[in-house]
Amino acid sequence: MIHFDEMACLLYLEGQLEDSRARELAAHVAECAPCRYLLHALERESKLLSGALTEEDEAIPARLLGVQTQGWPSWVWSLAFAAFAAASYWVWNDGIGPWLDQLNNAGFGGTNLMSMMLFSGAFWEGWGDLVDILQIVALLAVVILALGLVRRRLRRPAAVALVLPALLIALALPPQAGAAEVRRGRAVLVPAGETIHNDLIATGPSVRIDGTVEGDLIVFTRELTVTGHVTGDVIAFAGQALIDGTVDGNARVFSQHATLQGSIGKNVTAFANSITVTPMGNVGGGMLAFAGEADLEGKIRRDLMGRIGRSDLDGLIGGQVWIRGLTLDVASTAEIDGPATFQGNQQPSVAAGAKLASPIRTEITQEVGRSRRSETRKVIHEIIGYGAALLAGILLLTVFPGFYRSTLRETGAIGLPLGVGALAFISGIFVFVLGVLLLFIGVTAGVAGALLYAPILYLAQVFVGAWLGNKILGVTSTQTGAVIGRMALGLLILHVARLIPVLGGLTWLVVLLWGTGAVLMGFYRMSRVENVPLPA
Amino acid sequence: MNPAEQAGLRERIAQAQSGNADAWGELYRLHAPAIFRFCRRAMPTREDAEDATMDIFIKVRQKLSQYDVNRPFSAWLYTVAANHCWDLLRRRKVRQDLETGEVENMPLEHPDPGQLEQLIEKHTSQQVRRALDHLPARSRMALVLRYYSEMSYDEIAGTLGVRRTFVGVVLLRARHQLREILEGRGAANAAAGGPA
Ligand SMILES: [Zn+2]
Repeated sequence: MIHFDEMACLLYLEGQLEDSRARELAAHVAECAPCRYLLHALERESKLLSGALTEEDEAIPARLLGVQTQGWPSWVWSLAFAAFAAASYWVWNDGIGPWLDQLNNAGFGGTNLMSMMLFSGAFWEGWGDLVDILQIVALLAVVILALGLVRRRLRRPAAVALVLPALLIALALPPQAGAAEVRRGRAVLVPAGETIHNDLIATGPSVRIDGTVEGDLIVFTRELTVTGHVTGDVIAFAGQALIDGTVDGNARVFSQHATLQGSIGKNVTAFANSITVTPMGNVGGGMLAFAGEADLEGKIRRDLMGRIGRSDLDGLIGGQVWIRGLTLDVASTAEIDGPATFQGNQQPSVAAGAKLASPIRTEITQEVGRSRRSETRKVIHEIIGYGAALLAGILLLTVFPGFYRSTLRETGAIGLPLGVGALAFISGIFVFVLGVLLLFIGVTAGVAGALLYAPILYLAQVFVGAWLGNKILGVTSTQTGAVIGRMALGLLILHVARLIPVLGGLTWLVVLLWGTGAVLMGFYRMSRVENVPLPA
Repeated sequence: MNPAEQAGLRERIAQAQSGNADAWGELYRLHAPAIFRFCRRAMPTREDAEDATMDIFIKVRQKLSQYDVNRPFSAWLYTVAANHCWDLLRRRKVRQDLETGEVENMPLEHPDPGQLEQLIEKHTSQQVRRALDHLPARSRMALVLRYYSEMSYDEIAGTLGVRRTFVGVVLLRARHQLREILEGRGAANAAAGGPA
């Protein structure tokens, strides 16, 4: 007797055998015990398999039920957005805004150099405008970021419909935008007698303004000379900058050598190797300077603040003085009408005859004392930073577990996210410089971009920390506590490492690039879900 | 499912297709457990299964307008789920290189029905599930598609990208590998494509 093989029996059981062969098999099985047994055993095996597979042995995770039962987008999310947006707006409006106004009224009244640099209108004329724009941008950035994060919970068109107008509004906000006149050439010259009734952007090896610019002047050049009249601000990136004319607004100068010989109506911000304010020079507002050397012979009507290696004061300072640097020489012709503070490693020399409102308060920065004090401060700072980062990480893990995991997975690739992060950083700077400083169209867009970049930069450490924790303790299961534990350990190591001089800084540079790359790739992966072809 | 439920389901699908979030929520609640369980069986870890479930429903929602109402909804869901999971597994190249090609030519030992009955008698469904975890990806996926999702041979062939006539071979081969693991001889062997 010819028996049927196991394959035929299985196909028969599964109803996959063609009719004639199925009838043959049925007839054979009726006669043949071994084949009957085999068929029976296979059938039992099928039942065991279906039973084992379909048995409801574990509950569906709460995460899966929780997220979507309320419908998309749920009111919870909307409410959370609204609350977050309102809180952000409130912080800007009642917290930072008035403080900024205060600073504005006081000229350079504050002591926080960083915030002054960032917020004292470094790149924009009107203070109020900037604050307003920042408030709106902050709001938009928050909404856009939130949308970006929960994008997978929203339908794509809805997200696009929300984000696009927001971006358009952001781009359209500064009405002056894009109206500037642009001039390029080997030697850009606005001759005496010519008036440009517009903002002027000038680039070229040398730029000379003898005429009048009724607006802002933005310059990228090797050699800038202004002998004419600029009614707005002067923003200059120049090898050599000489301002001999009249600027009604602010002067922001990034230059090798900057010489102010004329009159600046408002404030001066200068990043320069050396700054000279000649005896003819007159600054209506204050001066904020970062320079190797400063020779100040002219008049500064308000405060002078700066980190200046060697300062020579020969002229008038109408307000207070705060200088941190190596040396300070106050000549007999100098006059300081406000309190003066000098932080350096040697006493300032004050010539007899110098008119000081009060003696210069001097803080000699002794290396040992300072380093000990700043060590303590650094440690405290680090502890606070660690706590905040951990909190942010836990929040991210609980609110966006999917994003957290996919980003963590990207972090594990090391090289790729590192490259992406570096690229994003470089192109970010490029876009910022190009878009905001050069074209001036997108101050708002630029700030929005920076505001978006900041949280990504901040979250970078969370993922690198979590990755590190996983490396040390092993990749964990879904236990939230264990995941947080690993994140906490990794972050702790990173923050302790930051206390190491030089090496800590380098480590963190890598951490930031790596982490931002991972976060960006995490976003990318989440947005890629749609691109998979339709299943048959 | 009785006709009334059937009609209710159809209506909800239609509502969800036109963008009704509540209807979608209900569809999700109704089917998420089954899809999660499917992923749990098909994917190596619970974490993978959770992620896959979420991604599958995102896809389903996007493709909902393309769903043909004359097809059973859950069958369509399983197709989307199966394609998604198989895609993921393939991308991870789980034991792929080892299991293609040679399988077709590998002769399978004819089983002794008595021994097979004994093996079935001795093992609980939990032990079977644990053994499934040690199967090569394609064998495991084939068993899940057939005995969990109850897919047709045509659908299985489409998902796994094999010829229809080869589906039976894949299933039988998978059963042999499973038996070997349950007998305690050769999880490793089974994983590497199995001995004769
Ligand atoms: Zn027989």
